[in-house]
Amino acid sequence: MNEPIDREQMLDLVAAYALGVLPVSESGLVAALILSDSDARREYDELRATANLVGLSAEEPVDSARSARMKERLLAAVRSDVPRRAPLSATRTSAMWGVTLAAAAAVVFALVSVIQNFSLRSDLHEAQTRLATQQARIDADRRTVERDRRMLTDLTASDAKRYTVTYGTVVTRGAHVYLALGSLPPLPPGRVYQAWTLARGAKTMAPSVTFTPSQNGLTLVPIPDNAGSLAAVGLSVEPQGGSRQPTTKPAFLQTLS
Amino acid sequence: MDDGARLMERVRARDVDAFEQLYDGYHRLVFGIALRIANDAALAEDITQSIFLKLWTAPEAFREGNFAGWLSRVARNRALDAVRSRANQPKAEIPVDIPAEATTDATVFARIDAQRVRGALSLLSEEQRAPIEMGFFAGVTHEEIALRTGIPLGTIKTRIRTGLRRMREALTETVSR
Repeated sequence: MNEPIDREQMLDLVAAYALGVLPVSESGLVAALILSDSDARREYDELRATANLVGLSAEEPVDSARSARMKERLLAAVRSDVPRRAPLSATRTSAMWGVTLAAAAAVVFALVSVIQNFSLRSDLHEAQTRLATQQARIDADRRTVERDRRMLTDLTASDAKRYTVTYGTVVTRGAHVYLALGSLPPLPPGRVYQAWTLARGAKTMAPSVTFTPSQNGLTLVPIPDNAGSLAAVGLSVEPQGGSRQPTTKPAFLQTLS
Repeated sequence: MDDGARLMERVRARDVDAFEQLYDGYHRLVFGIALRIANDAALAEDITQSIFLKLWTAPEAFREGNFAGWLSRVARNRALDAVRSRANQPKAEIPVDIPAEATTDATVFARIDAQRVRGALSLLSEEQRAPIEMGFFAGVTHEEIALRTGIPLGTIKTRIRTGLRRMREALTETVSR
């Protein structure tokens, strides 16, 4: 069962964020806290600077051959990056190499095409299937990361509007609305939290998403409606699956400007 | 402004000599962090090279503050990404950072070196030092640290905070002597 978290526990989370050990799912709320609370900001700035220095303890001598090899490669890359006029002969040589390499590549491609057989195609098909599966997983991970980054960007943006409510903050930025809640009371069995929205000009609240707080009591809830269309958001405890109208006294009801 | 920050200003102006000095001064730090995280000298070499090339191609990434601390964080994050890529794991666990505001730390901590950091870490109790080092070098979340050590999550978070505070006090004392 979740326990409300107090200020000291919140500052513990700030320290974890400064060290870089908070998962993305918990970072939004802590980032919002850091940006809206001067004590949290001070704690973050001091502990972040300290945490960064932990890495210095790993500094160690690099053997001279390795050190020289890395330096040589780096300086070669850097010097070639510094703008300068290439000698004409060098340009011509590069162009000649380009033509030769292109011709060689064409020959190799033709040879490979000729020697393909059924076995190779079968292997290829299997590899493509594996690749497609991997790609789908990577795409899904990428979408999750992009979504989390977008949320975090919204929550920490200087142009975001923040409304303090009983258990945290309502944040709006552009079309997006989030409930960043940090100390929700434990839910009775069979109950969930449900968000409510009041559209501009409407007289009754409409049901929105339901959720249960994360294990440590921190919860970031994106509201699917467009922020510009909403006059208010609210939160109440409802039966599992949600309700069509609030059945308990709202934990908060916040008007949006 | 520390030596690294001054050199980065010259690197922004495409000064190759400054870049060479930057490498001479900081490659042991970057390689050391990469090696500690990757546990593979060849990969650590690749990571070190990619970080220094990035310093050259995108020097604006460093804005202000303690250069060694900033570079240490960059090396850590880059090495963790490389290790995760090698293991075919997603990179989703490291969240976006809020840039720390420039504080007096930039000046005070400019005098901090590896030996002083090791000294400060050695002053922590094992129970404070272990989660901090695990979090920094293994790139695991606080929940994973709790799981690996069998210590309650709340205790881990408190130990991280008290440990970092103690380390900060020790570092501040050592530079003010």
